[in-house]
Amino acid sequence: MKILISLLILSTILAGCIQKEIVDDVNLETGAAYDYTDGKIRGTALVPVYLSDKTVENKTFSSSSNLSRDFLRDVQRQSSDPLVSGSLKVVLFGERLAKEKGILDLIDSFQRDPSIGARLYLAVTEGDSKAVINGSYGERGNAIYLSNLIRHNMNSKDVPKTDLQRFLFDFNQKGKTPYLPRIKKLNKKAVEISGLSFFRYGHVVDTIPPDKMFYFKLLVDKYSKGTLKVNLGKDAAAIESIRSNYKMNLVSRKPLKVNIRIKVKAILNEYSGIRVTPKKIKMIEKKLEEEIEVECLKLTKRFQSKNIDPVGFGHFIKSKTRKFNYSKWEADYRYLKMNVQADVTITESGVID
Amino acid sequence: MGWFSKQDKVLERETLEKTLKRSNDFKKISYINDPTNKQFSFWFISTLIDENILQENVLPYLLEKPFEKIEDVKKIIALADVQISNNPSEIEQKLFNGYALLTLESDSHHFVFLAAQKELVRSISPPEVEFSVIGPKEAFVESINQNVNLIRKRLPVKELIVQELIVGSLSKTKVSILYLEGIVDPANVKTVMERLKNIKFDAITDSSYIVQLISDNKNSPFPQLLDTERPDRVTAILAEGKIAIFVDGSPHALITPTTLVEFFSSFEDYFLNWMLSSFFRLIRLFAVAFSILVTPIYVAALSYHYELIPTDLMNTLVTSRRDIPLPPILEALFLELTIELLREAGARLPTKVGQTIGIVGGIVIGTASVEAGLTSNVLLIIVALAALASFTTPVYKMGNAIRLLRFPFLFFAELWGLLGIVLCFCFLMTHLLRLTSLNRPFLEPLYPPRITDLKDSLIRLPFSKQSLRPQTLRTKKPVRYPFNNKSDIDE
Amino acid sequence: MEPLIPEKAKISPFLVFFLVHTMQFGIGILGFQRLIALTAGYDAWISVIIAGLSIHVILWMMYRILDTVNGDIMSANSYVFGKKVGRLITLPYVLYFLCVALTTLRTFIEVVQVWMFQDMSTFWYAFAFCVLAIYIIFGGFRIVTGIAFFGVVLPSYLIFTFFFTFPYADLRNLLPVFDHSIKDLVKAAYQMSLTYLGYEVLLFFYPFIKDPQKSKKWAHFGVFFTTILYTAITIITFSYFSEGQLQKNIWATLTIWKVVEMPFVERFEYIGIANWNIVILPNLCIALWCGSRILKRAVHLKQKYGVLLLTTIVLITINFFKTREQINTLISYTGKISFFLNYVYIPLLFILVLIVKKVKK
Repeated sequence: MKILISLLILSTILAGCIQKEIVDDVNLETGAAYDYTDGKIRGTALVPVYLSDKTVENKTFSSSSNLSRDFLRDVQRQSSDPLVSGSLKVVLFGERLAKEKGILDLIDSFQRDPSIGARLYLAVTEGDSKAVINGSYGERGNAIYLSNLIRHNMNSKDVPKTDLQRFLFDFNQKGKTPYLPRIKKLNKKAVEISGLSFFRYGHVVDTIPPDKMFYFKLLVDKYSKGTLKVNLGKDAAAIESIRSNYKMNLVSRKPLKVNIRIKVKAILNEYSGIRVTPKKIKMIEKKLEEEIEVECLKLTKRFQSKNIDPVGFGHFIKSKTRKFNYSKWEADYRYLKMNVQADVTITESGVID
Repeated sequence: MGWFSKQDKVLERETLEKTLKRSNDFKKISYINDPTNKQFSFWFISTLIDENILQENVLPYLLEKPFEKIEDVKKIIALADVQISNNPSEIEQKLFNGYALLTLESDSHHFVFLAAQKELVRSISPPEVEFSVIGPKEAFVESINQNVNLIRKRLPVKELIVQELIVGSLSKTKVSILYLEGIVDPANVKTVMERLKNIKFDAITDSSYIVQLISDNKNSPFPQLLDTERPDRVTAILAEGKIAIFVDGSPHALITPTTLVEFFSSFEDYFLNWMLSSFFRLIRLFAVAFSILVTPIYVAALSYHYELIPTDLMNTLVTSRRDIPLPPILEALFLELTIELLREAGARLPTKVGQTIGIVGGIVIGTASVEAGLTSNVLLIIVALAALASFTTPVYKMGNAIRLLRFPFLFFAELWGLLGIVLCFCFLMTHLLRLTSLNRPFLEPLYPPRITDLKDSLIRLPFSKQSLRPQTLRTKKPVRYPFNNKSDIDE
Repeated sequence: MEPLIPEKAKISPFLVFFLVHTMQFGIGILGFQRLIALTAGYDAWISVIIAGLSIHVILWMMYRILDTVNGDIMSANSYVFGKKVGRLITLPYVLYFLCVALTTLRTFIEVVQVWMFQDMSTFWYAFAFCVLAIYIIFGGFRIVTGIAFFGVVLPSYLIFTFFFTFPYADLRNLLPVFDHSIKDLVKAAYQMSLTYLGYEVLLFFYPFIKDPQKSKKWAHFGVFFTTILYTAITIITFSYFSEGQLQKNIWATLTIWKVVEMPFVERFEYIGIANWNIVILPNLCIALWCGSRILKRAVHLKQKYGVLLLTTIVLITINFFKTREQINTLISYTGKISFFLNYVYIPLLFILVLIVKKVKK
């Protein structure tokens, strides 16, 4: 009896074992970049190499293939330690890939892989993504640098929040189209976020520059902490918006009209004039409201003309309509009338007057 | 018939005398009583007798005062415990319990037992294992009479019953059971008595033997009787309705029935404010969980689940493991075994050398192995902290059990990563569920959940809320003391 | 006849809550959202509530049956059909519980194999798990209940992990309410009831409850609590995923865990899956216990041997389910049998018991 038990235990140990992935014996793929060159997809994996003096060196592996994620398999032949993708933090798509081939196949493989997290950051690069990922930014590795860059801009600045989960949500939602930030490489040691790219069926169809990002974020994200500058005659004022809220209202169905009401609470950050009086504050508020309304309306009309809907009017109208017909909506979208109403309150003006 | 038995008895005594004469400390001395010229002799074991008692309280009177029959002896001896008997089978037991045997030449069937024990006892000293900063510093000693004295002093009521038994065929150890009649559940007392009576063992030298012989489950590393060396603790549990077992020769008293949560409460908790003691108890529980789980989690995370490690920590961990030739499991086992070696070695060496070796060994070996690249510094910190955390259990026996528990978890972590750790935890939980202490579930009040008993388990609520005795003991008097009504503001 | 259960093997009525709740809360919760959204779209949360409420009716019927007979379901069957036929009718339950045990174990191992360890061998992990289950059942029904208790209490902190979805939640997904026909909602409720199954174990451990009258409210509360939990998770899931996205995710709950991020652990789903071990362990144990108990009552096989026999069968057959399709077939068959046993057979038995009771008077 005892022999039987020990045999069983022994066989459990031997046969029940699973493949180990010891953390210092694997190459953690923390960043990936995909480009479309010569009809093939070229993938680059970014791997941090931890040196003994606590600095991080960036190493990249590249390979081309027809299938999207297949490159990983080819790359394994170049790497001394097996490459694992559980730590993937940021994925960059080259401009050409995003515009021409579309990123849907790659997105599908990210969805399917159980080891990839939902907070993965995606971005489109101006130019080749391999060049962007091949820089040396910061001391903690490129992937951490890029993901931190994107994250803090989303949390407290003008970039609207988006990651793999939100992208998939928007993409799969009928009546909404997804968007991703754009990254531009300035020089070997610096990158910057240079706007937003809007997708339709996985292809980039439109981009907006950084100064318009604030208005877009007001339309889609509930809280933002971005900054805005406005001219008041010869003086300029800059505000920091500490809280914003948007509410959509279906005014009428025939013709389809939606009213967006944006509420902004801000503090005055900078004023080039002499003194800030309550009357001046009212004027600044009014000017801001005008700016916001004009710009936001411009944006929505622009989206309408390109037949994309990142703000999600379709989704909103569906939530108010019974038996909503999506295919009819595809045609109706261009006839939608939108109206933007802004309400800005400047609560504080800093510690001086 | 009677004549035969009388002859048998004399024969018995003579055989006994022959065996006893083999020991050099057996003394048989004869005296003559002056007034009546009667001869009497003493039998005693000189190493067990306090000769002063014989010399001062017995001998002068026997030599000078006259006596005829054996019953007269009682009147003249200045000793309290004088027993007359005619049963030769008692002789061996009484002689070896420190009684002196007095026989008269004239009367060969009766003899007198004189209590003349020499009690070589340690004086009462502070507790070594369950030391407390505040509170009484009396601890039990090896003499059962002294120990029962300490308890009787603290519970001077007639309900405190002391029942004695003899266990052990060679050691003839005196075992006493204490309980408060009218409060304790009589079924518990009966079970304890039966189990003690059924013990078949030769030499019982310590209460730990009793623990192992009367435990419900002998195949468990967890002790099912609580041992303590503090009289105040015993007093408190007796008042709750539990039973205390004292073993002669052992400074540890046993308490039964117990539950798991009692092993993590030190008696000092009752001396401090309830908020502080609740906090300390929770720290202790966390320390135990930490001590068991942290090394297996390290092994599992590094071997299988690199995705769990936060990014910032990744750099530190990978750099620390860069030059280590061993996989995480072997590294962890190596360090764990080193700590166990240090502990065992430190326990065997005499105090002065032991402390030095402990400190030097720990620091030197640790630093050297990190620098040599045999282990990583992160793991060293983890293992050292885990070892430290395992010392927080107030009961030594439980601390040892915790020490042992880490290894199965390591094994399962190596096998199936996090899943293995959870599986091992389920095994542990089942094992604890199956344990019983005196036929009561060991895991009460956690399971079966008794809300009223939870007030003194993982946390301790103030005394005003503890006016009920624990439900698990099924005591006869559930209310300890009356609690007062609340009054309104300014009333 | 009816073996008398010794008092010390009985459990207090309050623990029935945990037994009923844990049996319902098993492997279904990881992926049920997709199925109900298929039929009733994002109105399916109403179906969840409907299905949950219907259980109370069945539960009430069960209690009436068991009270009249004052025993377990075999006593009820014997009461209505006579001893021999009663025994025969109860035997299929053994097969049913085997299927339940098999489903629970195989689906869990499948989850582990897809999400955590791709090359984990089915057999050896199942073996270790079954050894654990045997160890538990050999300790008696009280120990099984203890595991059920801890299987509810210990993983309860997982509820808080769902709070991490709130920044991503869009409640507009659920609007407009009642956008589907009643027929769709009922169909989805049928789907949902397959996930809710498990409360029928009450029929088997009824004799083990001390003071069964007091346990009624606890059992109903257990079912109600399960309903609330499932509804909450459904609503959270629906607001987290868009409809198209949900249809793609087989295990929606696990995908939700991918977004949980805490300072000391970056990817929570591994901890969640490991903790799920504790959630399904009582399911397996209770199923095996019920199966072996029927064997003991019907064919007088000692329960110890019954458990060993059933575990061996589970271990042998678990290797035959290798692909997703096979596992899906297993799940749907078990579900269908279960639905029949609960929603068809129990009301039937209820009526028969009432009739027989009147006749016997």
